[in-house]
Amino acid sequence: MWKTIIRRLLLMIPQIIILSILIFIIADFMPGDPFTGMIDPNLDPAQLEAQREAFGFNDPLPVRYVRWAADALRGDFGRSFNYQQPVIAVIGGRMGNTIRLSLLSIILTYGIGLPLGILAGRYNESGLDKTILVYNFVSFAIPIFVLALLMVWIFGYNLNWFPSRGSISINANTTWEVWTSRLYHLLLPSITTAILGTTSIIQYLRSEIIDAKVSDYVKTARSKGVPIQKVYTKHIFRNASLPIASGFGFTIVSLFTGSIFIEQIFSYRGMGYLFLQSINTRDYSVIFVLVLFYGFLGLIGTLLSDLILMAVDPRIRID
Amino acid sequence: MSNKKKYSMLASTAAVAFILAACGNGDTADTDNGTDDNGATEEEVDEDANGNGETADDGPQPIEFETRVENEGEAIDGGTMSIGYVSDSPFTGIFSYELYSGNPDAIVMQYMMGALVGTDENYQYDDSGAATVEVDQETNLVTITLQDGVLWHDGEQVTAGDIAFTHEIIGHPDYPGVRYSSDMQSIVGMEAYKNGEADSIEGITVVDDLTLEIQYESVGVQMLQAGGGIWAYAAPRHYLEGIPVAELESSPEIRERPIGFGPFMIDNIVPGESVSYSRFEDYYRGTPNIERLELETVPSSTAVAAMENHQFDLFLSMPTDQYENFENIPGYSIVGRQENAYTYIGFKLGEWQGAQEDDEGNVTEPAQNVPNPDAKMANKNLRQAMAYAIDNDAVGARFYQGLRSRATSPIIPNFADYHADDLEGYPNDPERAMELLDEAGYEDTNGDGFRETPEGEELVINFASMSGGDVAEPISEYYMQSWRNIGLNVQLLDGRLHEFNSFYDRVEADDPNIDIYQGAWGTGSDPTPDGLYGRFAPFNYTRWATEENDAFMEDMLSDEGFDVEWRAGVFREWQEYFMEELPIIPTLFRNEVFPVNNRVGSYDITVGEDPDLDGVGIHTWYLTDEDRATE
Repeated sequence: MWKTIIRRLLLMIPQIIILSILIFIIADFMPGDPFTGMIDPNLDPAQLEAQREAFGFNDPLPVRYVRWAADALRGDFGRSFNYQQPVIAVIGGRMGNTIRLSLLSIILTYGIGLPLGILAGRYNESGLDKTILVYNFVSFAIPIFVLALLMVWIFGYNLNWFPSRGSISINANTTWEVWTSRLYHLLLPSITTAILGTTSIIQYLRSEIIDAKVSDYVKTARSKGVPIQKVYTKHIFRNASLPIASGFGFTIVSLFTGSIFIEQIFSYRGMGYLFLQSINTRDYSVIFVLVLFYGFLGLIGTLLSDLILMAVDPRIRID
Repeated sequence: MSNKKKYSMLASTAAVAFILAACGNGDTADTDNGTDDNGATEEEVDEDANGNGETADDGPQPIEFETRVENEGEAIDGGTMSIGYVSDSPFTGIFSYELYSGNPDAIVMQYMMGALVGTDENYQYDDSGAATVEVDQETNLVTITLQDGVLWHDGEQVTAGDIAFTHEIIGHPDYPGVRYSSDMQSIVGMEAYKNGEADSIEGITVVDDLTLEIQYESVGVQMLQAGGGIWAYAAPRHYLEGIPVAELESSPEIRERPIGFGPFMIDNIVPGESVSYSRFEDYYRGTPNIERLELETVPSSTAVAAMENHQFDLFLSMPTDQYENFENIPGYSIVGRQENAYTYIGFKLGEWQGAQEDDEGNVTEPAQNVPNPDAKMANKNLRQAMAYAIDNDAVGARFYQGLRSRATSPIIPNFADYHADDLEGYPNDPERAMELLDEAGYEDTNGDGFRETPEGEELVINFASMSGGDVAEPISEYYMQSWRNIGLNVQLLDGRLHEFNSFYDRVEADDPNIDIYQGAWGTGSDPTPDGLYGRFAPFNYTRWATEENDAFMEDMLSDEGFDVEWRAGVFREWQEYFMEELPIIPTLFRNEVFPVNNRVGSYDITVGEDPDLDGVGIHTWYLTDEDRATE
């Protein structure tokens, strides 16, 4: 197994390189550069040009790529033009916010999704099942930005239950205040993410459980006299959770990428917010690193999914 | 307040199109009255003109705003005032006038940095600040004299050395910012310092603790103007001296605990989100009334909702295209004033030519604008006709609910002495427009409903316009329709609106496909137009240049200009000439509005008002209630 993991990891290297080349080429198509719109009649064009030259915007694409890659290998991903700080510092400053948001979202997603899926599957065709299905269809159909806007509008502005923007209150001073304030700001965006994230979990779990209920091993277990509760926890749930487990790796990835919308709408200053900001202002160095990071997450997610699947399903062996 | 020399390109508005507040704007349907009658005959055009005239008359008129609001009530002791700064770009956190580049940082800084020199209603330096500036045109010497007793937040005195220090930062060989301007370079000895050949700047002399002399190669009259060339700022030398210049912008002394000599001190910063301030007891104008300030960035999409919820006492940069959604929210009064900016439609008249060099690499001719007499838009009648064809009164009233009004000159009215208020500009007059075209020989010779050039060739004018905001598209459509109504075939460049970056990329590069374009300039606080319309100005995107114009520019910058009245006269003549030549059509003057909660005792945004008057200087602000007013 370790051999497989190492092989998969090694395979990521050319994938990442190809991805980075693609990003470079596509970014080159974007009109403008960080200097567009930043003008001062006192700066003669030569000065502006000198700045462009200093930042290396004038070199041909391959030259820029090789320079960037060489620096990146040494751990230097360049400076953000917007923030006048190393890219790693800029992204690092936002990462905490995004990770907190993702973690809480994952917890809530599974916290809501698993019980609902199990209940719907176990009592299918009941009133409860139908209610859950309606919820499921609604959350499946509604786009993320619509739901997010509705949530801000209803719970943030009309009911005033939650803060409608930001990640922390300016008045939080003690450690306790800092963490409670952060949690308070996190709730609304992560509940929104969770509501949308539960769709596939509920759907898979429900149909798997319904299938399993009539399968032979369940009949055997029941006829042996195993209590119904135990059949569910020991037999059905374990089998039914396979597709969910395999999706877990992707869930983590989608939480990072999905947070782009959530962070924008909730004005939550995380990586997703930074990403949009950087695209608008052509902060290339930040864009590169973020896209690469998202790409890398995608690869890790696939690997993770395979590994999880392997762990929960003894029939699957990766060699 | 920061006085920026910086002209800025203005994007339309929000990049994100999520608007929370209801935005039912039935009025925009008004533009449709042209869309139905495509093959505009003269009669129909007349009707249309009348129709437009009527809607402009009975529609909303340009709104005159108060620049001061006063609310009754006893001042409470201290209190916390919250400021909502509406912006879709968060502040980056470089709290230094030498190093910052984005406007959001300047907004955050204005409460704590302190203004070194005050300005009057023309944005000219006066004696209302912590220091005064004297310009000696004979000896090219600028003297900055500080008041005694101006203190930094850590209790140290602000000295002439601190003003010298800010120059040393910008002149430093490792300085990473963009403020090393040509004015900086004209300080004697600056270049040697920049190149590392000298350890100090020869032309800057600290006479005593409170007096600084700066020797320039030459001084110009525009230097009397805030942002006109003198770098009137101070940086705390004792606080920042130990940090290498290259590392300043990432140092905690700039990013996390900056100090200034303004009325408030920074308490706490949540990067990109919010800042809290507490009052500086030893502020040189007197201890501020308010105890704490809190400033938070609010995305433009939720600004109105934040106002409906009374979340802030004062809103900065409130988006004007949502005005009708917030004009009547109870609990707030709205003050407004004209923005230092105007919208315009430019005609591409030539090309930018790089510097010409001979074989030895000597510059034989500097880089400059070279007009092309055969350019598509080179005919003055054509340009004037296009100006008469559009009804900017209606655009201001209808699309902007009266918050914008028809521009009459490239010098905004805020420069009271320089703005030619007797100019009428180009009011809507389609008949006059058609006369002008007929006169110049633009006639429809092949019967397709559109006019051809005097040479009989087909005339298609490509119009570049920016996307962004709700009204960008309808306004462009309206303009094109108005031009079609006088028989001009105007098409959107590539059939669509263009995003800010690509728009200016193409305009700047003189893309031959662009004939006319709609842009906007922020003017800063110096009215001198040579940076935008001079022969050698790269930002003169129309590439217009004439000898008469050169002469005007020369006069404006000449020593005679120290006679302000004479100079204002030159400005007036120039505006008249400019509006006749019309390389651009100034289309709209813009208002900015500030909603103020009714518990704020008084708030005054009058340009050049005495800072010690209630409501003007930040230290004079006071609250009349513990809780925000809701009605």
